[in-house]
Amino acid sequence: MGQAPAASARRDLAGEYFDQLSSRFELAARGRALTYGLEIGGLRFDLRFAGEAMRDVLLAPFEHLVVSDAPPAALSISAFDAASSGIEAPPPAWEAVEAVPGTNPAMRLRSERACVLAATGTGAVTAAEPAGGRAVFHLPDAAGISPIERAAPLREALQLLMAPRGRWMTHAGAVGRGGRGVLLVGRGGSGKSTLALSCALAGMEIVADDYVLLETDPPLAHAMQSTAKLTEDSAERLGLGRDAIDPAGFEPTLEGPAKALVDIRTRAPGRLKPRLEIAAIVAPHVPLERSSFVGPGQTKDERNSGLEPISAGEGLRALAPSTIIQSGFHGAAALGALGELVRQVPSYRLSLSPDPAANAGAVDELVSKLG
Amino acid sequence: MSEQRLRIDTENVVHETVDGELIAIDLSGGSYYSLSGSGPAIWGLLLGSATEAEICEALALTHEGEPETIRSEVARLLEQLLESGLAVPGDRAGATRAPDALAEKVTFEPPKLERYTDMKDYFLLDPIHEVDTAGWPRPAA
Repeated sequence: MGQAPAASARRDLAGEYFDQLSSRFELAARGRALTYGLEIGGLRFDLRFAGEAMRDVLLAPFEHLVVSDAPPAALSISAFDAASSGIEAPPPAWEAVEAVPGTNPAMRLRSERACVLAATGTGAVTAAEPAGGRAVFHLPDAAGISPIERAAPLREALQLLMAPRGRWMTHAGAVGRGGRGVLLVGRGGSGKSTLALSCALAGMEIVADDYVLLETDPPLAHAMQSTAKLTEDSAERLGLGRDAIDPAGFEPTLEGPAKALVDIRTRAPGRLKPRLEIAAIVAPHVPLERSSFVGPGQTKDERNSGLEPISAGEGLRALAPSTIIQSGFHGAAALGALGELVRQVPSYRLSLSPDPAANAGAVDELVSKLG
Repeated sequence: MSEQRLRIDTENVVHETVDGELIAIDLSGGSYYSLSGSGPAIWGLLLGSATEAEICEALALTHEGEPETIRSEVARLLEQLLESGLAVPGDRAGATRAPDALAEKVTFEPPKLERYTDMKDYFLLDPIHEVDTAGWPRPAA
């Protein structure tokens, strides 16, 4: 017996779009394909480019995850741009909404087989067939890649391919020592990135400042891109010179002051690790009344970083909302995974001191205690 | 007592309970919530659809407390859930099955629902618009 007429008549627009975009990549890559083997989240990936233009903007943030002599990958992300290849993305199967300045609305087309995400603000299109392990990424012009794409390259493609394989893209940083560490969680502006970079500059291992791929059994934070986002003020407080900041910069966001990109590999050489086992969750927090952290007999500059245990529920509230609201694909399953994590490891709130070294010291001490 | 049948809007709301606290995230509006006390038990009954009377009857099988206190607290929470959009009108077809009575009941604690709106800017920054099968956009909300 066949399917109901309504179901059989329904076209798989997302699947058709994915097939068309894949074919166009193959056309764009004919005679100029560049393939790199990566290990992301403990899985082998092929990152394929149609020519050097996309390679030059997208490979650098993943270079620390490139592996050699590896068996062929079951997963792949293929990237091309129209400007350098002359091959445009297929005409949209959607009518785009107008982007309010400063925002990047996305049109999402989904079916059982495929998912297409088209960002109106940046013109980026990601199409994936998650079960098949394949994704294609297209930009109008690699040379004109937006700061949003540079800050979190291939975020949607990785998220779509990794979630069905139990690796959850999580809005968090991760730092530690000896392969073991803590997840730094909280919304943008909570001090996560500055704290993660402070820890790396103090000699700790770092996986990321902003996005990790999380596995829960056992709890592991895997690296994605090697870039971190910092406000100019934070970069200055960390003693990073102006030359540390990517000249392409970062646009002002609704969440606060403009942020710039910093490459962790060059700023904290040898500290960047592909993964850390997670032993605790730390939610940094900038106290409203900083003066309340001046202890007896202390001057303003001797304020301590305060670390206090919080409930699993508070840990989940600090960890989950920004991840789930941004992820948009696998809400219930991703929240379930984050719930599993907070049940396994303790959560803490870290009241940040104005002194980055003191904050890094508090995290370092916690990591050694948990060791 | 309200006869209205309600259910959690599971198309737009995801939730997880840890250590007796339920965290709910509204994917259509960007707010998130914490529900504690006996709230998670009431939420569980609303995963199907239920009336205020059915919830009170079900709680009487599993919770110890003054019936009038339970009734007024349930009514208050249902109003909050409806007002926040976490719960929507339900129908009889999806009715919740009454739980089995517990040999040892737990003490009823007034539910506490807290709303957090500090993630709304993320939601505004990268709004996602679902495209339906005909290829025309409609907002995800």
